[in-house]
Amino acid sequence: MFLNLLFLTSALLTVGCSVAVLAVKNLMHACVFLLGALIGIAGLYATLGADFVAVTQIMVYVGGVVILMLFAVMLTGGKDHVSKTQKLKSLIPAMGNKTSYLIGCLTALVFFLTQGYLVSKLLGSIEVQKQVDTFSPTVQELGELLITNHVLPFELSSVLLLGALVGAAIIARPRKARPQYEEEAEEHH
Amino acid sequence: MFGLEWYLGISLVLFFVGIAVILSRKNIVAILLGVELILNSAALNFVAYSRFVTQNLDGHIFSLFIIVIAAAEAAVGLAIVIRYFQINNTIHVDEAKELRG
Amino acid sequence: MEYTIANVAPIFLAPFFAFALNCLLIKKAPKLVDKVSVLGILVAFVFAIRIAVDFTGVANTDYYIHKVFTWFDLGETFKIDMGIYIDNMGAIMLLMVTGVASLIHIFSTWYMKGDVRYERFFLYMSLFTSAMLGLVLSDNLLSVFIFWEIMGFCSYSLIGFYFEKEKAGYASIKAFMTTRVGDVFFLLGILAIWHTVGSVDFVSIYNAVQAGAFGTTVSFLGMEVGLAAFAGVCIFLGTIGKSAQFPLQVWLPDAMMGPTPCSALIHAATMVAAGVYLSLRMYPMMVAGDLLNLIAMIGGITAFGAATIAMIQTDLKAVLAYSTISQLGYMVLGIGVGSYNAAFMHLITHAVFKACLFLSAGSVIHTVHTQEMPEMGGLRHKMKWTWIAMWCCTLAIAGVPIFSGFVSKDRILGDALYTALHAGLGYKYAVPALLGFLGAFLTPFYMCRMMFLTFHGKPRDQHIYDHAHSEHLKLNQNVPLLILSVFTLGMFFSGSLTGLGKIPAPVVPTEWFKTLVDSPTNNLERFSTYTKQQFGSVDTRENRVLEKTVYDSEAMTGYAGPNPDNKDGLHHAHVEGAIASVVIVACSIFLAFLMYIRGTIDPGKFVKMFSGWVTALKNKYYFDEIYIDVIIQKGLLKFNNFLAYVDMGLYDRYAIDGWEKVSRTLYRASRWFDDNVVDNTVDAFGVLAKTGHAVLRGLQSGLIQIYFIVLIIALAIMTVWINFIV
Repeated sequence: MFLNLLFLTSALLTVGCSVAVLAVKNLMHACVFLLGALIGIAGLYATLGADFVAVTQIMVYVGGVVILMLFAVMLTGGKDHVSKTQKLKSLIPAMGNKTSYLIGCLTALVFFLTQGYLVSKLLGSIEVQKQVDTFSPTVQELGELLITNHVLPFELSSVLLLGALVGAAIIARPRKARPQYEEEAEEHH
Repeated sequence: MFGLEWYLGISLVLFFVGIAVILSRKNIVAILLGVELILNSAALNFVAYSRFVTQNLDGHIFSLFIIVIAAAEAAVGLAIVIRYFQINNTIHVDEAKELRG
Repeated sequence: MEYTIANVAPIFLAPFFAFALNCLLIKKAPKLVDKVSVLGILVAFVFAIRIAVDFTGVANTDYYIHKVFTWFDLGETFKIDMGIYIDNMGAIMLLMVTGVASLIHIFSTWYMKGDVRYERFFLYMSLFTSAMLGLVLSDNLLSVFIFWEIMGFCSYSLIGFYFEKEKAGYASIKAFMTTRVGDVFFLLGILAIWHTVGSVDFVSIYNAVQAGAFGTTVSFLGMEVGLAAFAGVCIFLGTIGKSAQFPLQVWLPDAMMGPTPCSALIHAATMVAAGVYLSLRMYPMMVAGDLLNLIAMIGGITAFGAATIAMIQTDLKAVLAYSTISQLGYMVLGIGVGSYNAAFMHLITHAVFKACLFLSAGSVIHTVHTQEMPEMGGLRHKMKWTWIAMWCCTLAIAGVPIFSGFVSKDRILGDALYTALHAGLGYKYAVPALLGFLGAFLTPFYMCRMMFLTFHGKPRDQHIYDHAHSEHLKLNQNVPLLILSVFTLGMFFSGSLTGLGKIPAPVVPTEWFKTLVDSPTNNLERFSTYTKQQFGSVDTRENRVLEKTVYDSEAMTGYAGPNPDNKDGLHHAHVEGAIASVVIVACSIFLAFLMYIRGTIDPGKFVKMFSGWVTALKNKYYFDEIYIDVIIQKGLLKFNNFLAYVDMGLYDRYAIDGWEKVSRTLYRASRWFDDNVVDNTVDAFGVLAKTGHAVLRGLQSGLIQIYFIVLIIALAIMTVWINFIV
């Protein structure tokens, strides 16, 4: 019963907030709605018995990524160039002209339907376990898996993270107006 | 009880909302928001399959790696955005067309 | 005593490392160069003393060391071993070369002092000596040839040492080119032996001679020549070139253009000794090829002819140069008449006294600054020590009893007399013996003439005499001379003062030289038991008891030809030879005394009497003229011009220039092809790329959302395709 309640709450939160991310004009608000959607997903993880993943989702996404997004939004002014002449555009910001809107809608529809069909076909073809296990803590087992079967991607991801952090630091570092090598190149002329 | 199809449905909705965000927003940060939504829909699928189909923890591992990669991507992407803003004083996506042929 | 390579190699390596080190030091630390060189040769001397004492100290034994390493190996058919081979003869030779060379090095520090290229001189001297030592240590003809050529280069450099003088440059070229003629034949001989034996080391060659491998004939210029004769002649031609024998003797007199110590080294210890040493090593082959008569003839002609030229020379060093040629002639004569032992002994004794003579001459020249004897005279008052040393050597070379020259030369002459009269070989050997005795008459005459003109009488040029410094005993000027002059005494070599020791010598020390140096032909079978060892192995000195403990005829002559059983004849010949020698020497010295001290006989009378001959002598028997005007101008130059015509006129003109025309045509054709076909093809690709670019750049809007839309549409189409159509 509690699970059902949790699922419904989380599902509503997820779907509602994600649609709001699409719909709201203010970018700051969009970020906050994304926060809601991510928390909802964490709830869904919880209903699936993935306690560790749920906690990681909250810590990394909610605590890290979204905060980073907010910083970025604040550092860059948060302007979103919205034309306010058309109502539709006011609802769904930054849409182009009618042709592209139609093509987009058509594609989205076809795609959505196809995907839905795929999902239903998939559900028919795979054997879904009716008797799901009771929940058990997954942390220890995950840890063992990470350092045994999946140790290579685990280590590689650490290297990736380090590279990303260093790269981010280098890219975002404030620089002089003209890099040094250009001056040297000019001296040669 | 809500079964696999519910989770898949939510995932589908998240995916398409993500695509719509990427396509409709003109701010680069907002586009990154859409990317996060798409990544999350995939991760949700992994965990759902892991619960209802395979009944082991490989899906959890995948979603963990997705989270890690999303974090790295967000860090680098936002760094690029900030740098771009420092140089061009805008992050309107249509302004960024230096790669036009 | 154990013999590793470390006991032997320093003999060669110490001077060589001195050379290598000096190459580095010559610019940075020129003051060290002479010390390094002297030290290098002294180290070699110490090691050589050790080996010589070890080898020759024990009676009746012939030790040998034969160590090899594989130089390169190209399968079964082509494998070259290098190595060292020392027997009693080699040990004595090493002792002589290092000893004489050490004293020459020490003398050079005085003689060359203040020379502009003082350091470079020691550089060459070290290399020269090390090459000679390497040659003596060599166990095969190939490495002998290598060291032989290094010596050729060094002699070239040293003869042309004062290259500012035009004559010195020409003399060095002459020495190099003349010895080259012999070297080419030497190499040919090596190849012939290699082809037959499959190896060129001495022991293998001895074994092959014993096995009769040289009985075959080779075709040379259409003639069938016995292989042993062919190879023997070729190698002997190498000796002729290197040891300045008739008819290639022309280079040695000019070699005196170099500094006097280098002349001493060339004439005594290294260069010319190498030729005779090689002939001694290859003696069994000369016997097998039946070449001894030829060799004896050449030796006799050289000994006599050079002595006659030496009589009329006025240059101090020229007299010594011709006397060297003459003495080398005696050595070759000794080989030719089969007195192996005496020829080698003469090589050693000659090295000692000739080194001393040249160093003394250097001492004189350095003091009076002239080489012309008519400008000297009376120098004995000023140069007492040099005078003493030079007289010792003069008496030795003259063949006066008690001195070493008598011991060795008399044995050669005795053997020559024996082969001419008693050996029953017909009169083929009469001419060499006669020439040898005539030379023996002339030798004391010209040497004493030189001494009288230089040191005795009254100073003929008072100015030069007054300017000459009085001599004090100096460590590096006179001491080397005096040391060498001590060893001109015959007893060091024969054991008895007269040298005529027909002593039955069961216990050797008295007659060590005669007993220990043994001709290979005496017992050729023994070499089949000789073993080679690898370089790293220890204790490779092998022992072999000499059968020849008593002085008998075969061992004495070492003559392996028609073996006469005539010991009385041999004995008679030697007694006759010795008496004749002594009488001849006495007459000769008395004649010189009358001519140049007393003046009772005027030399001018003889000059008038034999005016035609004297003119020929002054022109050195016209050898230079014959070589240059006839052989080179008339023969080789014509041939050269013909070859040049073939090369320039025919080959260049038609083959090369014709090819130029062909390639020019080809060039035109390919240029047309390049310009029209290839270039247009390339241009077509350029146009294609340009058009394609115009089309494709329209797609590249640079707007990321457009790209994403395209991506989504493609994904949608793909999904539909997979789900509904496939």
